[in-house]
Amino acid sequence: MSNGFEVDYAKVYFTIKTGIPVLGDIKITQTLIVSWIVMIILTGLCIFLTRNLKVENISKRQAFAEMLVETGNNFVRNNTGGNKFDKLIPFVSALFATSVISNLISLIGLRSPTADLSTEAAWAVVVFVMITSTKIKTNGFGGYLKGFTTPIAVMTPFNILSELATPVSMACRHFGNILSGVVIDGLIYWALGLASAALLKLIPGAVGAFLSNIPILGLGIPAVTGVYFDWFSGCMQAFIFCMLTVMYIANAAEEG
Amino acid sequence: MGDFQLLARGIALAGCGIGAGCALIAGIGPGIGEGTAVSKALEAIGRQPECKGDVTGTMLLGCAVAETTGIYGFVTGLLLIFVAPGMFMNYLQ
Amino acid sequence: MNEKNKAGKSLWLFIALLALFVAVLFYTGYTKSVTEDQDLVTLVPWTFIIQICNLFLQVYLIKKFLFKPINDILQKRQDLADKEIREAREAKTEADSLKEQYESSLTNAHAEAAQIVSDAQREAQNKADTLVRDAQEEVAGIKARAAADIEQEKKKAINEAKDEISSLAMDIAGKVVEKEINEADHKKLIEDFISKVGA
Repeated sequence: MSNGFEVDYAKVYFTIKTGIPVLGDIKITQTLIVSWIVMIILTGLCIFLTRNLKVENISKRQAFAEMLVETGNNFVRNNTGGNKFDKLIPFVSALFATSVISNLISLIGLRSPTADLSTEAAWAVVVFVMITSTKIKTNGFGGYLKGFTTPIAVMTPFNILSELATPVSMACRHFGNILSGVVIDGLIYWALGLASAALLKLIPGAVGAFLSNIPILGLGIPAVTGVYFDWFSGCMQAFIFCMLTVMYIANAAEEG
Repeated sequence: MGDFQLLARGIALAGCGIGAGCALIAGIGPGIGEGTAVSKALEAIGRQPECKGDVTGTMLLGCAVAETTGIYGFVTGLLLIFVAPGMFMNYLQ
Repeated sequence: MNEKNKAGKSLWLFIALLALFVAVLFYTGYTKSVTEDQDLVTLVPWTFIIQICNLFLQVYLIKKFLFKPINDILQKRQDLADKEIREAREAKTEADSLKEQYESSLTNAHAEAAQIVSDAQREAQNKADTLVRDAQEEVAGIKARAAADIEQEKKKAINEAKDEISSLAMDIAGKVVEKEINEADHKKLIEDFISKVGA
């Protein structure tokens, strides 16, 4: 039983030497492995849900799949006000599903890929590129650049800053929430391990010394805090990330 | 390791700890903000109980967005506790 | 049947891939010693790039395996519903026109029946009227004839009476006067007298 508290770092499994100066070596970390597992789970779920599709007399499974698709459609259409962004539906759905499964996969003992800033940064940058391209498509490149000088030219640096803050804040919000869950879960396990060790050392002899290595208190109690930090926070952050994506893109298309 | 280096490391670690503590002050803002948001939402629900679902959803969204600054503070604190000391220790060798 | 086999195959493929990944995970993570840890808050370029690729791959997969089949099915159902509604509407229109037709023919039949009844009534009335009028005319004719007969009889009786009276008067006068007057003059005289008396 280690007495020091250690956070659950992402482990690096392989290192592939590339020799590319800026990017460095490819490190196959726990983040990547788990995110591939998440992708396989999601794809398998999709394949499973869409087996034996029928037009009439549908099964519960198909009804669930249709409900998911309808929810995605309605989410994007309600928040953008129309069918203009129907191309965005699979993207937003994939983002949401990946995010939720990634956040909740910590429940089965794997490390969430979303507890790694690289993941959220990647998503946020993709969203940022989409927002910018929508703005340029709506207003033209000149109009996009001119948009930075509103309302007055002095505001330009602040406008650029606020533009850049969008992906940063999106990434950090999601990352911070999930990482706080990871850290607090780690703290709770550590504390409960210490407590159960202290408790079981009261049993005299070799039995107590053996049992004190097993964190018995860590069995049930973390589930209670997990309700907030894993379930609520995980679902909420995924929802907010998608909501912000849709809203930013819808706003970008309206500015013209 | 000389006394000077030891002192420098001690100061660095102390700075990291104090900084982490200060960073968590950022939790005050979201606390107040979310409290205000929830109280307003409760007022709204009290006035129009039929809008409960809409108000709750929007409130949760707003709360989560308002929480961002607190999360920034938290991330900064984490950086100061888990990342910065290692960096300083490497630097001060 | 083909679709089913295909779906079954992809599911088996998925299960095999999952098993493979779990095996890799256990092999790398739990049997080999892990060399190093990543920093807690850090931005790794390759992870970043691979995650972007992962996201787009996920979008493609979710589009292919969830959205396309479900949207196809939804579209099919929509088409089916549209067809049913259209057919129902057509059937309703047809039924409406039929109903109208029936109703109009029914109205016509009613009118015809009423016409027939009224015709019959009028005819019957006419016939009755004719009968009554004929009877009345006949009665009137009979009456008139009877009256004429009576008149004639009366006249005849009066003439007979006149003749009787004139011959009676002549006899009386002859007896009284005892004088034989010329028969002709005599007669004339008497007729004058009678006509004067009768006037």
